[in-house]
Amino acid sequence: MAIFPGPEWADEYVKALNGNSEYKDAGKTWEGDITFVVQPDEKYSKTWYLYLDLYHGECRSYKASDKETELKKSEFKYTGKYSNWVKLINREIDPIQGLMTGKFKLDGPMMKIMRYTKAAKEMVNTASLVKTEFGA
Amino acid sequence: MWFFRSPDIVFGEDSLSFLNTLDSKNIAIITDKNILNSGLITKVEKNLPVDSKILVISDILPEPDYDNMLLHLNDIKNFEPDLFIGVGGGSSMDTAKILFALYERPDINIYDITPLVKLNLRKKSHLIAIPTTSGTGSECSWAAVVSEKNEYRKNELASPEILPDYAILDPEMVLSLPREQTVNTSVDAMTHAIESYVAKWANPYSDALAEKALELISNNILNALSNPKNVESRNNVHIGASMAGMSFSNSQIGLAHALGHSFGAVFKIAHGKTVGLFLPEVIRYNYKSSRTKYDKLNNIFPDNIRKESLDLTIENLFKKMGQPVKMGTLNINENVYHKNFDLLVELAENSTGIITNPEDIDRKGIETIFNKVHGD
Ligand SMILES: [Fe+2]
Repeated sequence: MAIFPGPEWADEYVKALNGNSEYKDAGKTWEGDITFVVQPDEKYSKTWYLYLDLYHGECRSYKASDKETELKKSEFKYTGKYSNWVKLINREIDPIQGLMTGKFKLDGPMMKIMRYTKAAKEMVNTASLVKTEFGA
Repeated sequence: MWFFRSPDIVFGEDSLSFLNTLDSKNIAIITDKNILNSGLITKVEKNLPVDSKILVISDILPEPDYDNMLLHLNDIKNFEPDLFIGVGGGSSMDTAKILFALYERPDINIYDITPLVKLNLRKKSHLIAIPTTSGTGSECSWAAVVSEKNEYRKNELASPEILPDYAILDPEMVLSLPREQTVNTSVDAMTHAIESYVAKWANPYSDALAEKALELISNNILNALSNPKNVESRNNVHIGASMAGMSFSNSQIGLAHALGHSFGAVFKIAHGKTVGLFLPEVIRYNYKSSRTKYDKLNNIFPDNIRKESLDLTIENLFKKMGQPVKMGTLNINENVYHKNFDLLVELAENSTGIITNPEDIDRKGIETIFNKVHGD
């Protein structure tokens, strides 16, 4: 069990992502980094960041931190409150509906990401594959 | 939390006369050459306020790319419309949506048209859609499909703010629709209703509209085909098609659209024909998760069409309409099919319908459906 959010969860997530053949295929032409941002709410008091450098269907490097300054600035940012991340990982929120209802926010060039819906879906599916214990 | 969105709907005989009640002064009509030549634009113009100025843009191509869509943006800026009217099939109505957005917001990029960006439109003008086919549902949707130049894939731009203010469903606009297009577009509409009903984002509003849409279309389409000038049948199919559009616009489409988009892009076959081609096989694939809902839909079809399950009912109705469910009848080039098989699978995999289809599908699953519809 890996605690979310936390460094072990980041390790497990990246391991699962790199082992996901559907993601590898869907993201095979993708080049770009993304940061997941977990924002504080009543259940979690810190902000947590997971930086992922994604290249041709693989996560080349990653870093988790609760200080944004420790991380490289990424092209995309997917941001939501802790409790919405919990729902996302438990598959109680659909990631795109989450964006459209304001539960999550996506920053970055839209034109680029629109072409990778399948890869985006696999990234979320992978999060729900990690055996997760919620840390708050 | 989720939404239900819809334009105001003006429907039934003589609904074009609604246009006369508007206060608009400068009206930009967006349409295509065939619609213009058919005399349908004259019908629209006759119903516009007498003192209004009219700009007609009539060279929208089928499945337009950005360049084609935006060719006349400057003319529009000079004309300063307070109303846009898209008249036609999906291409004209979608182009009207895009021109409306970019006229309102010349500072934005076309890719800013996403649900994630607040656009603040309607500062200068409004948008009306008048469909001349019964199928695309674009008059009720907040999406606009744009082709990419020299590419197979298309972009779906979407924003609740490009939802038309009014959709006008006048049966007179579809009375002369040729048989082939009547079949293609009504197959598209039925596919919208069926896919929307089982989609991951289905909700009580989209469900209700899908059920009624199927009832109206399945009870009237055969008569509309054998008596194309029958206003009542045409009207019912027209209303049903827009309900199906409203349904999927508030839920989503599914796998038949993903496969159909891909197949249509490679073989340049009409959208409705390609989505219908895969629909029965997709229903069979989705039975695992959606049996109950499919059974409910099957009960909606009239007794003389209904079979024991929805996939068979659809095959039966499609056969009567002349809509193929196997590639064999389409006379596609077999070499092109086999040479592009990987591309077909990849395009389908990256189509948005995959995300909201009730049953997840991987590459192998997609290949299997292609093979079955191919007749392997
Ligand atoms: Fe469609």
